[in-house]
Amino acid sequence: MSELLSIGISHHTASLDIREKMWLNVDETKEAVSHLLTKRFQECVVISTCNRTELYGTASKLPDPSDVKKFLIDFKKATGSVLDEHFTNAIGTNAVRHLFRVAAGIESQVIGDIQILNQVKESFRISRELDALGPLLNHLMQSALHVGKRVRTETQICEGAVSISYAAVELANKIFADLSKKAVLLIGAGETGELTLKHLIGRGIGNVKVANRTREKADELVARMSGSVVDYKDLQEALRSVDIVISSVTSPSYIVQPHHVQSVMKRRSHNPLFLIDIGVPRNVDPRCKKIDNVFLYDIDSLHTIVERNVDHRRDELPKVDKIIEEELNAFVKWRNSLSVGPTIHDLRDAFESIRAEEVEKNINRFSPDDRQLVDIVTKRIINKILHQPTTALKDGAEDQARDKETLLRIHALRELFGIAGHKLNGNEKR
Amino acid sequence: MFLQTIVDVLVVAIPLFYGVVVFLYALSFFTESAPASRFKPALLRITVFLHLLYILTRTVAFDHPPITTVYEIMTILAACIAVGYLYIEMRTHARNTGFFILLLAFIFQLASSLFIKDLIEIDPVLRSRLLGFHVSATLLGYTGISLSAAYGFLYLMLYHEIKSSRFGVIYKRLPNLEMLEKMSTNSEMFGFLTLSVGIAIGFFWLPLAFDNVSYWDPKLIGTLFIWVLYLIGIVAKRRFGWQGRKMMIVSLVGFGFVFLSMTLINFWLSGFHKFH
Repeated sequence: MSELLSIGISHHTASLDIREKMWLNVDETKEAVSHLLTKRFQECVVISTCNRTELYGTASKLPDPSDVKKFLIDFKKATGSVLDEHFTNAIGTNAVRHLFRVAAGIESQVIGDIQILNQVKESFRISRELDALGPLLNHLMQSALHVGKRVRTETQICEGAVSISYAAVELANKIFADLSKKAVLLIGAGETGELTLKHLIGRGIGNVKVANRTREKADELVARMSGSVVDYKDLQEALRSVDIVISSVTSPSYIVQPHHVQSVMKRRSHNPLFLIDIGVPRNVDPRCKKIDNVFLYDIDSLHTIVERNVDHRRDELPKVDKIIEEELNAFVKWRNSLSVGPTIHDLRDAFESIRAEEVEKNINRFSPDDRQLVDIVTKRIINKILHQPTTALKDGAEDQARDKETLLRIHALRELFGIAGHKLNGNEKR
Repeated sequence: MFLQTIVDVLVVAIPLFYGVVVFLYALSFFTESAPASRFKPALLRITVFLHLLYILTRTVAFDHPPITTVYEIMTILAACIAVGYLYIEMRTHARNTGFFILLLAFIFQLASSLFIKDLIEIDPVLRSRLLGFHVSATLLGYTGISLSAAYGFLYLMLYHEIKSSRFGVIYKRLPNLEMLEKMSTNSEMFGFLTLSVGIAIGFFWLPLAFDNVSYWDPKLIGTLFIWVLYLIGIVAKRRFGWQGRKMMIVSLVGFGFVFLSMTLINFWLSGFHKFH
């Protein structure tokens, strides 16, 4: 019977420079999976993201984890810098639980990360393309994707922005109905400001304007992101025609004063103005917050939003754990059903119940003398039909080299005859 | 007799239906209950259907449309609010504001069901077709104003949460400020225009219906006052660019006067608008 092993390196155990050395692109992933299949595993999946590189493999006799780690380090030519202690490994149920936690996004650096599910899906696709999946890993990956979907629909683990830039974009979406009809002005060229602008562009913001003390920097940014450059000295005038302002310049005094905003608001017919001040020290006078239809957020208030959202996500962890345990139990139940003994037992039960039902339905058509004979004959037919598959399964189970083939047979048998244990949580299709 | 029985059953059933609908919308808004979210639109449609059936049955059973007393008018107003909300929900797919809007329909219907009387004999003057148009247009006006106020109230709650960085359930579940403002402004414009038509028909009908009429009827003055208030709001929006918070406050103040007009003036002051 195949066993499951997981080995990986993640942000829990290794710093970014170590993780970078172990990161695999799509071609490297394919190559690594192919190598691992030839000698070490019967089935294999490799997941590689900026936060983790992990492999999941099955074999009737699992390889030594150190040997697999050595292979990975050698494969990435990272001998010396990546050490054995940077890896963790798990076997059987613990490996399954770990994958479910990864797919649920609770092993990510940012709890509730939604990207990871797509990355798991991509790894699944690569292994399927390489024919590196048997029934066990195929089912495991589908179960992991199911966990991810359930966690996203049944809990609020992914809700709320957990970065400053996303928090600002989320607020913009709560103020404005259609960002494509809005304009944004970026003042300065700080990293967070640029990131916020990128997110706004990603959400389809209609018009981008950039102002910087150094005109060349503004030109360079506009060339990368498209939009137009506003002269730094025309800043006040620019406020009239934009809806969102992201400000992140280093300035000893406020560059946006309440009287500027007051006069601008009149000229812009009091249309809402969203000021995102991520400069330290602050760029916008906090008194602007008191002006009607002006929404001012500084770095501290954005931080507060992020912290609250992170706390809220943490509060959801018990619900996520519950889903993981439910799915883990379903998976273990399915896994146990793939043993030869229970399969033969279930198969016989299924045939016997059909036989008994049909005999009972039709028994009155036979004379009382023949009834016992009908029972005996039908039982004999069932035994003969099942003799060959039973023998084949038992023979396969005794030969470890044919483990994968046996698993496939059991899986097919259960699926074709709809035998108990094949259904998971009453939900056959994943 | 059969129609009377239907009216007797529906007059009790409809506020109960509204109660359950409001409860489901509240449950869905405050707890994100999945079953409540699933069943609320269907139950709202059933309730609206029963309500329209009730109005029709009542009209046939008592041989006049239910527009002759304040409690009869309240049931029409409740139906208009529910239909108006259903239309907005179907147009915008924003289902999270229902609790606040349908609560108004529930309150009007509850008051109506508790105090409505089965009148067969009515003042002949109330059988005029022009009066029917006058009342219908005025009620549509009040419906628009009520919806506008409800959306204005939601706008102000969300505005306050965003301004003060307190992000509670209102922030999470309501649509964005611009959409709420648009819903409120559109309802207000609809309400203002239909109220204008209603008032104009009333002025035309009045000398035809009565020989000696005084234009100093308290309800007439009250309605005109409301109309002028909304006119000022609309002019201020166009001329001085009032929008957002200021306009929502105007909308709420206007609704406050509508409410006073429907309660204080109807119950404590008399005039030709009182027919029973």
